[in-house]
Amino acid sequence: MGFLVGRLLGLVPTLAGVVVVTFVLTHLLPGDPAVFFANSVTADAATIAAVRQKLGLDLPLWQQFFVYVGQLAHGDLGQSISTGQPVAADLLQRLPASLELTLVAFAIAIAVALPLGIAAALRPGSLLDHVCRVLSTAGVSLPTFVSGLLLIYLLYYLLGWAPEPIGRIDPFAIMPPRITGLLLIDTLLAGDTEGFGMAARQIVLPAVTMALFALAPLARMTRAAMLGVLSSEFIRTARANGLRRRTIIVSYALRNALLPIVTTLGMIFSNMLGANVLVERVFAWPGVGSYALDSLISLDYAPVQGFMLVMAGIFVLVNFVIDLLYAVIDPRTGLLTHA
Amino acid sequence: MNRRDLGKLAAAAGLMGLAPMRWAHAQTRAESLRVLSEAGPNSFDPIGVGVNRSAIQAHWNTYDRLLSFGTQTRPDGTLTFDYYKIEGELAERYEVTDDGKTITLHLRPDATFHDGSPVTAEDVKWSLDRVVNTPVGKSQFSTGSMTSADQFTVVDARTIRITVPRADRFTLPNLAGTYPVIFNSKLAKEHATAADPWAAEWLKTNVAGGGPFKLDTHTPGQSLTLSRFDAWKNGALPGFRRVLWQMVPNAQTRRTSLERGDADIAQDLPPQDAVSMAQEGKVKVVGVPMSGAFQFIGMNNTKAPFDNVKVRQAIAYALPYQQMFDAALFKRGQPLFGGKPNEADGTQFPQPLGYDTDLGKAKALLTEAGFPVGFETTFSFELSLATVAEPVSLLVQESLAKIGIRVTINKVPGGQLGTLLQNKEVPFFFEGSAAYFADPDYFFRIFYNGPTRWNFGSYANPEFQALVEKTRFESDRAAYEADVTRMINLAKQEVPIILLWQPALDTGMQKSVEGYKYLFHRMLELRSLKRA
Amino acid sequence: MRERLLLLRYVLAENPVNLVALLLLVLLLGCAAVGPALVPFDPIATETAVALQPPSALHWFGTDQLGRDVFSRVVVAARLDLAIAFAAVLLSMAVGAVIGASMGYFRGPLDTIGSRTTDVLMAFPLFVLAMGMVAALGNSVSSVVYATAVINLPFYIRLSRAEVSVRRSLGYIEAARVGGSGHARILRVFLLPNILPALVVQASVNLGWAVLNTAGLSFIGLGVRAPAPEWGIMVAEGAQFIVSGRWWIATFPGLALMLAVFCFNLLGDGLRDVVDPRTRT
Repeated sequence: MGFLVGRLLGLVPTLAGVVVVTFVLTHLLPGDPAVFFANSVTADAATIAAVRQKLGLDLPLWQQFFVYVGQLAHGDLGQSISTGQPVAADLLQRLPASLELTLVAFAIAIAVALPLGIAAALRPGSLLDHVCRVLSTAGVSLPTFVSGLLLIYLLYYLLGWAPEPIGRIDPFAIMPPRITGLLLIDTLLAGDTEGFGMAARQIVLPAVTMALFALAPLARMTRAAMLGVLSSEFIRTARANGLRRRTIIVSYALRNALLPIVTTLGMIFSNMLGANVLVERVFAWPGVGSYALDSLISLDYAPVQGFMLVMAGIFVLVNFVIDLLYAVIDPRTGLLTHA
Repeated sequence: MNRRDLGKLAAAAGLMGLAPMRWAHAQTRAESLRVLSEAGPNSFDPIGVGVNRSAIQAHWNTYDRLLSFGTQTRPDGTLTFDYYKIEGELAERYEVTDDGKTITLHLRPDATFHDGSPVTAEDVKWSLDRVVNTPVGKSQFSTGSMTSADQFTVVDARTIRITVPRADRFTLPNLAGTYPVIFNSKLAKEHATAADPWAAEWLKTNVAGGGPFKLDTHTPGQSLTLSRFDAWKNGALPGFRRVLWQMVPNAQTRRTSLERGDADIAQDLPPQDAVSMAQEGKVKVVGVPMSGAFQFIGMNNTKAPFDNVKVRQAIAYALPYQQMFDAALFKRGQPLFGGKPNEADGTQFPQPLGYDTDLGKAKALLTEAGFPVGFETTFSFELSLATVAEPVSLLVQESLAKIGIRVTINKVPGGQLGTLLQNKEVPFFFEGSAAYFADPDYFFRIFYNGPTRWNFGSYANPEFQALVEKTRFESDRAAYEADVTRMINLAKQEVPIILLWQPALDTGMQKSVEGYKYLFHRMLELRSLKRA
Repeated sequence: MRERLLLLRYVLAENPVNLVALLLLVLLLGCAAVGPALVPFDPIATETAVALQPPSALHWFGTDQLGRDVFSRVVVAARLDLAIAFAAVLLSMAVGAVIGASMGYFRGPLDTIGSRTTDVLMAFPLFVLAMGMVAALGNSVSSVVYATAVINLPFYIRLSRAEVSVRRSLGYIEAARVGGSGHARILRVFLLPNILPALVVQASVNLGWAVLNTAGLSFIGLGVRAPAPEWGIMVAEGAQFIVSGRWWIATFPGLALMLAVFCFNLLGDGLRDVVDPRTRT
């Protein structure tokens, strides 16, 4: 327990660092938000000054920082000027969309990469191994904005197989009551299978686009870890003892290979969450990535700061969970009994 | 899958509590409209900090104004507004005294807000007071000589009087503009606080009006649903009962949805899509050159070398206008190049400045100006305009290189160019802007005069400034036209900025959608639309 | 060295994929080095009369909105894209190795501060951080190089720190210390050269990322300035024409981009085999 609290406290300086860096970065952006947002052609210098005062930008920078930290202490992430909403509300509204997309993409990636990696490791140097390597490397080499665009052109515009690449659900459909914010789960909870189908169809294209990208590191790590384990003493012993091949692979080798795989999983997950800016852009997915991008371009400080902070928070939490998983998976702790 | 599945829609409406079930069952595709636009409103309040253009589309359709501009038909049959004809909207009639100082407006007796309460003169006064009590609103309203709440008087429950210190051509257009929407003041005041006496916070996210449409739901940045206000009295009832307005940032996706019949209207089409959609002919593309809007090449007239009029003229002769118009704009617009040189051609402005591509003349002028071997400069444009500005900048760069001017292209992220312009730090750039009111003196006052960033050339000619002042309240038609003619001559001879064209506002729609009307603010008016 | 070369030959012969990667690299570097001299058209000269032409015998990859030859632009773009990627990766490798090695060697407060800073950097959504930096530093190639270098920095710091931590207590370092070598000399002569192979493997993988990062930034309009041909900008420009059927403007630079990243990734794999034969079987 003490270990847990200590680890959690250790996260605080990291987040504090993120707050400072983001604040400095946004305020370094050349451009005066007051000028940008006083956008009527009849706005004169007095109007701009009034706007600047209203936005609190007339204070010295260090005072602005303390005002911002004070707000943060109350859980207030500030107000977005471009959307006119509180940043916290905007993020809450959009985060589930990004999360859902990332999770689905993640699931697809795991479902493909693990078997591929294991198969490659079982027959290293075989044709299958080379195919696996080339495929996964090709996947990670696809810029998401290129593959996304090509998928849309092919599957929606030319062939008409995929639904309209706009948003998360058919616009004329019933939105399920918001429980988790993840449409795939909410529709099921509401017993709305049709809605589930619709949401699932919408998510396929963007999720596949993202999954392609996550495939390579996972498959590669699985292969490497499995290779390492398969060549180790205890597997050879198990083989010599005539244990069934399946038993050896699943309950001995895979379990021991899980450690590095889980670490990679954590890295990839948080990377995907932050890196789906471009995918969201291409698919008009109402997530946090495109929100941050728009805010950054339009000098809207609060949303950029809020986005960075939330993303960093998720990142450190995921890593924290991975650390815990480590303790659980590690055969030496004995927390996971034989499957 | 049938996207507009009746049962689903009915269930949706019922579940969300949008409408009585029986009404919802009667719903047909004919009565609902799906609009796709690039961005969505960030406020339902027309006046506020950073309120975007899409916000106009939201409040224009959910609120009423006292007056509105009339309607005329363009040669191609498209409806457009008539700036010189101002009609009553919420005010069924209005009178202006002979000295032009007093305007009396009579409200329609049966008009109500969405909550059923009648529209009174008190509501009107509160709404007008609100405009002059907010910095952004006041700077707009002062262009129509309205600066203080004292100028708005309630005569009786249905009559309101506006007084101005002197007759002003811009008072009535201002009342028909986007700012003075009429709020349900009782409802709004319930949400006002001591710190926020005009309920700005609440009105940003709520509608308290009586316009032809009611706001049903709004998911910021994603979608907005509107339903017809059936008790609307200020005009013919809208043709659509329900409107779903969605934000789709990607232009190609908007286009694809429209062409596949999933959407009814796609707004803000890039020029090249407008062209190829019109060619393919699956849908209707309506392109109206935006009156008052213009794109131009700006030069900082206060800094060398652009302080030299010969340099500016040389550049005006060196630009490859036709190529830019063809390749960057795909001819979607009204050229402002060519035309009658040096002298005014009528008193409308913007009008073509009289320059054509003539590299020989350009080179000669540049030599005369003392730059026989040219010079170096930076050409800036804003990221959000890149579809048009990027090809323009490349053509400008290439063409100017031929007369020795070496240009570096600088693409500036959205928010930054405004600040640079405000500080007058940009030597040479591409920009666009628009004036709501058609009077040429209004255009000159904003874009060729004064210390703001909207004086894009930082033009400061004393004679011109005096004329801008003089024409402000000029009521003698002949004198006014003579002054405007002189200003147009100066704008042509001294070229503080080089006007390129008035881009077209391209809107794509299903062939079954009729009644589209172009308005001065370039957003969609929903009330006139219907399905054939 | 000779042993390594032999191994290289062995690896290439044994693994045809590595050979493909090497050939691709030669092709890319060739494009970057002599491409501008060989291409049939001036990559920045506009010719609006032949705008938006589909691929033909004259214009192999078609022409774009301003009539520029897409093939010439794709070939010439290799120079800028590769230059940015190499510059960024070398910069972050050099800085990261020195910082990381010092942290691992000296330990103490330097290590603590360094590790904390690295943690903070790693916690950022990296692409958005890069966007922010380019927007703040101004739109230019050097901003893209710096931003890409910064977001790659943590990987090198961590790697070199870990490698040095393992080695600092090894016999030969102890011996050097006893022999009177200063810290700087030990780091320079004994430690950094030894961790170099690991860094090079990391670098070859990062080259792919750096190319993607550059292209991603220009796709959203940040970074490289027109009229310089660059794959990301070309994809962004072409993307608006895909729906009207002019697929060639975006597709060819997109393919070139993929090919380049693909090559670096395969190369990274191959190099790992050469440098660290333990992972091979």
